[in-house]
Amino acid sequence: MNKIDPQFGIKLKKYGAVDFTACYNCGNCTAVCSLSTQDSSFPREMVRYGVMGMQEEISASLKPWECYYCGECSEHCPQTANPGELMQALRRWLTAKYDWTGLSGLLYKSLPLSIFAFLLLAAGVIGYGAYENFNLAKIMHYGHLFEMISIGAVFAIILLPNIFRMWNFTVLKPGSKAGIGIYFKAMGELFIHMFTQKRALGCDDNQFRWFEHFILVLGYLSLLFTTVVLDWFGTSNQIIIAIGYLFSAIVFLVTIDFVSGRIKRKKEISKYSQPSDWFFVIWLFLMGVTAFVVRLFIDLELIVDNSWIYYFHLIILVQWALIIVPFGKWTHFMYRSFAMYFARVKELAKK
Amino acid sequence: MNKKLGIYICHCGGNISDYVDVEKVKKAIENEEGVAMAKTTMFACADSNQKEMVEDIKSNGLDGVIVASCSPKLHQITFRAVTERAGLNKYNYVHANIREQASWAHSDDKAGATEKAIHIVKAAIAKVRYAESLEPIKIKSKKAVAVFGAGVAGMKAAIELANMGSEVFLVEREFFVGGRTAQWDSVCTSNQSGGEIVSELYEKIKNHKNIILYTGAEAESYSGSIGDFHLKIRIKPSFVKSEFKKENIEKAISVCPVEVDDEFEFNLKKRKAIYQNKESEFPKRPVIDNINCTRCGECEKVCENIDFSQKEETVDLHVGSILMATGFDPYLPETGEFGFNAIDNVITLSQFQRLVSASNKELIYNGKKIKNIAYIYCVGSRQSEGENKFCSRYCCTTTIHSSIEAKKKFPGIFNFHFTRGIRTYGKQEALYHESSKMGDIYLQSYENDPPVVDIQNGKTIVKINDILTGTKEMMVEADLVVLVTGMTPRAENSIGSLFKLPKGRDKFFNEIHMKLRPVETVIDGITIAGTCQGPKNIAESVNSALSAATKSFSYVSKGELELEPIVAEVDKDTCTWCGICSEACPFDAIKKVDYNGKAVAVINNSNCKGCGMCLPVCPSDSIELIAFSNKEIESMIKLLAKD
Repeated sequence: MNKIDPQFGIKLKKYGAVDFTACYNCGNCTAVCSLSTQDSSFPREMVRYGVMGMQEEISASLKPWECYYCGECSEHCPQTANPGELMQALRRWLTAKYDWTGLSGLLYKSLPLSIFAFLLLAAGVIGYGAYENFNLAKIMHYGHLFEMISIGAVFAIILLPNIFRMWNFTVLKPGSKAGIGIYFKAMGELFIHMFTQKRALGCDDNQFRWFEHFILVLGYLSLLFTTVVLDWFGTSNQIIIAIGYLFSAIVFLVTIDFVSGRIKRKKEISKYSQPSDWFFVIWLFLMGVTAFVVRLFIDLELIVDNSWIYYFHLIILVQWALIIVPFGKWTHFMYRSFAMYFARVKELAKK
Repeated sequence: MNKKLGIYICHCGGNISDYVDVEKVKKAIENEEGVAMAKTTMFACADSNQKEMVEDIKSNGLDGVIVASCSPKLHQITFRAVTERAGLNKYNYVHANIREQASWAHSDDKAGATEKAIHIVKAAIAKVRYAESLEPIKIKSKKAVAVFGAGVAGMKAAIELANMGSEVFLVEREFFVGGRTAQWDSVCTSNQSGGEIVSELYEKIKNHKNIILYTGAEAESYSGSIGDFHLKIRIKPSFVKSEFKKENIEKAISVCPVEVDDEFEFNLKKRKAIYQNKESEFPKRPVIDNINCTRCGECEKVCENIDFSQKEETVDLHVGSILMATGFDPYLPETGEFGFNAIDNVITLSQFQRLVSASNKELIYNGKKIKNIAYIYCVGSRQSEGENKFCSRYCCTTTIHSSIEAKKKFPGIFNFHFTRGIRTYGKQEALYHESSKMGDIYLQSYENDPPVVDIQNGKTIVKINDILTGTKEMMVEADLVVLVTGMTPRAENSIGSLFKLPKGRDKFFNEIHMKLRPVETVIDGITIAGTCQGPKNIAESVNSALSAATKSFSYVSKGELELEPIVAEVDKDTCTWCGICSEACPFDAIKKVDYNGKAVAVINNSNCKGCGMCLPVCPSDSIELIAFSNKEIESMIKLLAKD
């Protein structure tokens, strides 16, 4: 027996859900969704679970991640109950649910707290700069070191346990029995979806959005590789320098389009931006643009006189690596691909 | 006998001519005796043909007309009017039905259909030869209407009738007017209070010179018929003098030892045997409830305005029409039905509405603060088994409205609606939208799997297999369970029995035709309005009240009524009064009178509907039906039986 919990609906509104309780269960949303199938049908079911406050069902479900938010459901909703935004809110709520530290939830729900965290890290960077007497070379060295350490630490301490929790909620607890072989067999799904977001192509009229997103992911990952592994800021290899420019340019050019989309609010997906959405796209843009300018200043030998640009870049980088990546929207990169992986595992286990 | 006849055979655009050879029909009858002209026509009812008919009648000097076409139900009135326009008495028109009776009935046999059509037309010719010019029966009609029931429908109807110029007697059984509307503190979707609506209507009634209001009054007997009803009205005494001092009455109420359930509060509260009107009820006066008063005399000791010497009065009313607006009773659940009377926090919708309006700041029932409210819909309505198969129309909207009101008035409340599908039809849909947007939760099941109210660990729970959540079992701990009870016909139906008003299968008063004659009853001159006819909301009740008022006024407006002259006629010479006809008459139209020293039957023309039930039972064959006389019918039969 499920106890109806209307408080959950109130909570979901803090995660960005809008008017979803107005749903009168016509199912138009599910009917128009091009990703919904008979075996895995959404979003109506998820809207209903949200209204009823069935947290266990929601946390055991991978459906929120199976939606790529084309917004057609919201366009066709006769009650303007915004099922698309509800799915988005569920993804935020799940992100918080998976996070063992609980920080994700706090940051999603409270803008002041998020701003405080950003300011705290900015102050930390500036404080560290002062501690080092703004010795640029030294700080750039430690900056590079920070990149490498933070990637490893965030992954080991936050992301890996959270993926494990996600697996527990969605595969283990619901009682799916999959042998180790199945996990190997399904592994392909993980990488395909992680690097191509193939499923998003199934959304109607979504090819351009998919393409933008695709090159942004590739650009971002390549930039990460170029700066961390190939030490873009420290190298004198002309080829590495050139591809670094290319990748950072891709990152900030594509994000310009994403940010302007959210400002214009023409599409359903960009109508209801939450602070976490703004932070994600703006910080990605700033990462790209500051990295580009820092390298440019190095090449034009302006960096010594304009070292502030590097500190600015470092602040953005630290905030990105310690807030947005472990607790913010960055995680959807992982959860989406793991969701497709787990879905495949469950499917194979059923057979 | 030697009439000049004109006959039209209609194609009905193929409806007839596809199966009946209309030309053959025309040829078969055009040489019948007296037929001056015969024509076929594509659509006899078309404007152009009607004009042509008028010309034909005038230029050929016709004195009998037949149109062979559809059912007389559809166009007899049309063609009677055509003959009238051509200066002929309309009863010289005879309708022959060759569509429903020939072409449609025998679409598999064209030759047979044609032959039958010929017979039908020939029979009509036989009848029209004997047709007589008739004049409508004229009777006097008293320009006064009695309206029974002073709820929102009765009051509105009374005002409308009075404004049109009729004298109105408004008769209310209770001591106060306002009916159910007075009991609702806030009505949707206007968000007025019932009291505001009632007081607005009462002011008009009080000040209207054409309206006389009787409260505490009931009809005792009635006689007569349309245009000429005689009613005897019994008026209960209030046992309080018309001049009274407020403080005296308050004293009397405080000393009265008799406490009974207050029906206005749906028994949520108590009142004394002496009590006053509620704020939303009128007139403002104290009354003593004679049924419960023990005559202990305590009130007389403290209040000089009490007068137990008051006697019941009777008044005779003479009216031309009667309008019934006697309202409904809310469905009362059986003990144990969804925990009613068995679990102490289960109440009805009516009680809930009183509870919400009586509570301030906090919603408290049985000393407990209410947070979760479960509403169970369609209790006593839409039952596949049992009498109440109907939807009560008002309850979905009212429940949602009340739940919104409750949520706004008492923040922190959660509403859970256990429905069988929401029916907030028309503009009321906006309320449903508002409610669900506010976060009210709606669940649904079918009739065969209703929600269950139960006690679990000392708490009242409501559970349902919710079809909107994949038929999963959902439950809520409810501090209050509201049974959404619908409307039922009045249990106390003495007035319906008095007037012999027919009831439908649902036991509400029945109209003649749901769509085309929605406020008339088979008793000529009696109309029905509001919820005595079936479930309605206030707006719908007022709509029907206005249309019943208009209909009733049409009976009395001219002071005279024209009735259809097709009635039964008794041959007083051969009648020997056996009374069988009177028993057979469904309209109470036959009475015994004295005629030249013997008893004979006489027909009351204003009651007779010309149904013909009295004809075959008469042992001396003394009754004829005008326009369907023996010689007319026999001539038709002879013709039909010929070949």
